[in-house]
Amino acid sequence: MTQKLTGLKIRAYRKERGLTQADLAQRVGISAPYLNLIEGNRRPVGDALLKRICAELDVGIAQLDGGAERRLVQALEELAADPRIGDARGRPANAEELVGRHPDWSDFILRLFRAYEDQRQAVLALADRLNRDPFLGENVHQMLTSAASLSSAAEILAGGNLSEEERRRFDAIVQADGARLSKTARALLGFFDNTEMRIRSATPSEHVDSFILQENNHFPALEALAESFPGSFPHGGFEDAAPLREGFSESGHAVAAPETRRFALMKQTAHRIGREAVAEIVSGHLALPSEESRDLARAALHSYLAGAMLMPYERFLEAAERHRYDINALCRQFGVSYEQAAHRLVTLRRPGAEGVPFAFMRSDVSGHVTKRLPLPGLALPRYTTACPLWVIYGAFQTPEITVRLYGELPSGDQFLFFARAVDKTPPRVGYPRKLLSVMMACPASEAGRVVYGDGLDRGSAVVPIGTVCRLCPREECVYRQEEPLIAGSDISDKRRMATDI
Amino acid sequence: MSDRILIVEDEPNIVESLRFILERADYDVHSISDGRAALERLREQPYSVVVLDIMLPGMNGLDVLRAVRQDDKLAHLPVIVLTAKGQAQDRRAAAKVGANSFITKPYSNAEVVKRVGEFAGR
Repeated sequence: MTQKLTGLKIRAYRKERGLTQADLAQRVGISAPYLNLIEGNRRPVGDALLKRICAELDVGIAQLDGGAERRLVQALEELAADPRIGDARGRPANAEELVGRHPDWSDFILRLFRAYEDQRQAVLALADRLNRDPFLGENVHQMLTSAASLSSAAEILAGGNLSEEERRRFDAIVQADGARLSKTARALLGFFDNTEMRIRSATPSEHVDSFILQENNHFPALEALAESFPGSFPHGGFEDAAPLREGFSESGHAVAAPETRRFALMKQTAHRIGREAVAEIVSGHLALPSEESRDLARAALHSYLAGAMLMPYERFLEAAERHRYDINALCRQFGVSYEQAAHRLVTLRRPGAEGVPFAFMRSDVSGHVTKRLPLPGLALPRYTTACPLWVIYGAFQTPEITVRLYGELPSGDQFLFFARAVDKTPPRVGYPRKLLSVMMACPASEAGRVVYGDGLDRGSAVVPIGTVCRLCPREECVYRQEEPLIAGSDISDKRRMATDI
Repeated sequence: MSDRILIVEDEPNIVESLRFILERADYDVHSISDGRAALERLREQPYSVVVLDIMLPGMNGLDVLRAVRQDDKLAHLPVIVLTAKGQAQDRRAAAKVGANSFITKPYSNAEVVKRVGEFAGR
């Protein structure tokens, strides 16, 4: 790339100085056709020759080989690859030439794109606000007004010492504002239901998320199949599962951790024995409208079945309760990885024999969320990073050590969060370390059943957190990265005001 | 003579309750529902304390308050902002334009009477 830019720049400087190719070629001791090849990027230019050319053109080497141009080329290439701007077929491929010949115009294009990107972000933010604020703001205001009127009239009625006419008047106010409050609350409920409809997933993997959530992440048919399967697995490795090795290829798994190999083996078995049951669950499910989404759902269910065979429901639930949901203890007992055990805990939703309800979230170090299973009252972000205070990020600071926190959302709901960054580095020399953080969360009211709540004082150690900055009303939060889009109500602020009055 | 109180509020049921509790506390209570008309009324007639909502038709409460503070004759008139807009930024905005006190809805009747009493010099 440098060479290409250099040739084009030699040509530009030569012309600027009013020299012909023949003039410059003669001065630096090469033939004109050879200089033509250099300028046309068809021949490289060696260091010694470049120095002579620079001397003749009276420019520094840095001017012919600048880092700024390289960055410009990279930025333009990235821009050209942006699917919002062009498609892959028509993608311009000669950014180097553009930068070499027209650096000013190249810079201009880049600035234009940045301006467009800024405007696009502003439009998105405004659209979001327009979509939500007027209705929400108006209705919340209406609710508070009705509540104020209701409580004031109720206080007057409770105070007594009223004439019959006064009593009738304030009774009527209580009735009217009670009815108005209900009506507004119903309208808001409808709004949120519709909002959920509008933001429902639109891509295959999001369809699978919706499907799993709709089923409460519990599939009784697969649980039954796992339990009926002979030799639900003692752990220890392949030798324990010798009859199942048939048809299993070890390629790709030969150097993986034992629990990963066991899971891979079990998944192949799940494919074989679970095909019909999985097909029946997936077939015709309204949340899975495309073949692609059904393919992904089938893969997820085969993994589910593999997990259920390695960690049979009743035995796993009993062990979880006995170990107070200590995931490391469960890993040891069932010979599975941290993530496999954590994920299995989320599936303990059999009616009448439920475990502690958990949300599950997995992120890589860049904040990319690779798996999410929310809980009622605890939304997990899909497209963006979560609140920086969540332990899912803090866990990267101390890999393989669990970090935990009591957090209170702006809604006032409290959850116990705990997370651990697990090492998924490919077992090959020279590869950078790959960490994935697995976070679980349960309602704080359930924390007594969970070992991760031990020693944390819920009375004093609750940290005010949000879900994502754009939707969090905690204005004073020093961890904030983005301004909030929706004017919400900060519960801690409300509490302060209540004591002021 | 009783202190004259002006309630600037567009929600009739709230006006009725406020009027009732303040009259019981022996104030001479007047009310008006439009922001712009309220400003005119304040320029025409003397009041001891104003109880002012923010979300008002005509002219919002903060604009009314700003105009009050810019009027030499009204600059020191005690104004209690009584609003459903109860977030920290609303409180700051009210303080910035010169509110003497800030009460969020829902409120306690006793608190309203107490604050009005403080500013009426009782």
